[in-house]
Amino acid sequence: MQNPDNMENPVFESRTDLSKLSYAVEQIKATIAKIVVGQQETVDLLIAGILADGHLLIEGVPGVAKTLTAKLIARAIDARYSRIQFTPDLMPSDVIGTSVFNPKTTEFEFKAGPVFGNIVLIDEVNRAPAKTQSALFEVMEERQVTVDGHQYKLDEPFIILATQNPVEQEGTYRLPEAQLDRFLFKIEVKYPTLEDEIAILTQQHQQKTIEQLTQIQPVLSAQDIVAVRKQVRELFVEPKLLEFVAKIVYETRQNKSLYLGGSPRASLAIINGAKALAAMKGRDFVTPEDIIWITPAVLRHRIMLTPDKEMEGVTPDEVVAQIIQKIEIPR
Amino acid sequence: MLLGAPARALPNAKPALVLRTDTARIQTRYFDKAYLDECRKLPEYHYEDLKQKPSLWTRFWRWFWHLFDGFKVKNSHSFYYYLAIFLKYLFIALGLATLIFILLRLAGIKNIFRKKSAEAEVPYTESLENIHEIDFNTAIEQAINEHNYRLAVRLLYLKSLKQLSDANLINWQLDKTNSAYIDELKNMEQRDAFAVLTRQFEYVWYGEFSINSQTFQNINTLFTHFKQTLA
Repeated sequence: MQNPDNMENPVFESRTDLSKLSYAVEQIKATIAKIVVGQQETVDLLIAGILADGHLLIEGVPGVAKTLTAKLIARAIDARYSRIQFTPDLMPSDVIGTSVFNPKTTEFEFKAGPVFGNIVLIDEVNRAPAKTQSALFEVMEERQVTVDGHQYKLDEPFIILATQNPVEQEGTYRLPEAQLDRFLFKIEVKYPTLEDEIAILTQQHQQKTIEQLTQIQPVLSAQDIVAVRKQVRELFVEPKLLEFVAKIVYETRQNKSLYLGGSPRASLAIINGAKALAAMKGRDFVTPEDIIWITPAVLRHRIMLTPDKEMEGVTPDEVVAQIIQKIEIPR
Repeated sequence: MLLGAPARALPNAKPALVLRTDTARIQTRYFDKAYLDECRKLPEYHYEDLKQKPSLWTRFWRWFWHLFDGFKVKNSHSFYYYLAIFLKYLFIALGLATLIFILLRLAGIKNIFRKKSAEAEVPYTESLENIHEIDFNTAIEQAINEHNYRLAVRLLYLKSLKQLSDANLINWQLDKTNSAYIDELKNMEQRDAFAVLTRQFEYVWYGEFSINSQTFQNINTLFTHFKQTLA
């Protein structure tokens, strides 16, 4: 099978058939581009996250199409979709489900909560307090729910797409570090450029958006997602690149600007993310550029700045960029 | 109204208490003399000031400072007197400087005596593999002879990076990606040619695609052509 990345020099042929994956990625991108203007990086990261079998946290100020983009991604996949609006009075049982007494059978029956879906959109995840957040720990990591001593496994694929406003916004709570670490990427949705904003207004003015929203057809099924994830996991990573990733994450633990560095889960997330990105580009191996591109999204929510750096206005992305600059690219 | 009323004795008041002298007989008890004597003999009850000998470290410093005192005693106006004072303060200054240096290092401040370069350019010498020191022709020839074509492609690519750096077409830095070097090339012909070489290198090196002699010859030709575009 000819690799699209290699058309100009037909010397190498891809060892993995990534044609279905590449086609699906292009289809999803095209579908989203019809409705969401710009946000290419957000869409790329969302697709990479889904391919890398991760949960995704989307952060941005209100009104930048976080929820819309997440909904579109969910619609592009033919799988069980559920949505939970996180509020300050939400209880863990509202998310995972609860045992209800059935007077007919005189037994307690488990009523599954909305978390039992393939794609779960949690809107405004940081509006619920820590008690409700902790209900997600087991679900996100082990993909199961334990209620009254019984374990209930969740179906594959299981993807949490969570949106949140920046912590500085009123009525929000900071998510616990243990929960943040369970998100593969934190995707920051920025304001659109002037050109993009004009395009949004034009599109809305012509009332195309609502019409196109109803016309979205699924591109991949749940089984397809499971299959392409398997392909992504099997992509090749040169041992020196593994060393390169380990050095980056290790450096976050030594860096003086950081109070908390990345965990080994972060190293694994970089590798998995880079593999997904390589697959999206039609390659069956990872390059240093894949790693460098994906690293900020993996690390920005896992590292914590020291208070003085936070006061200076330094961002986690700036520290990550400095760390990468220090490390020699293997070649 | 109550406060103004005259004081009266309460009907069931108790009679006043009278102090009485204790006349009980006291039997004096004494410590057992034999037991006391026995205790006195025990070493635990002998509280004597133990004069501790000065440690080796204390004795060393006493001896050290005594050296300077020794100079002083002999002749307070001699050369040795002033030498002793000078040496004494020199040692103190050195000690203080060492202490400050250790504290600065512990605080994470490095290179206090070195001027920071304006451009954060990493010199070649810090690289694990200095491309300006490798004898590429010999190394490539050796790799080909050993049929290690993967290594040969890598060396060819590093050689082309060196050639670009020597021609001042790229600014070689360790943290730059291959795409960054491609973007640095202003000449479109060179850029396209180098992009092709980069792709070949990435497939062979990062992708570990196995290549035979024929494939290597094709790639080698591309590198040779690229070199000609630099001339």
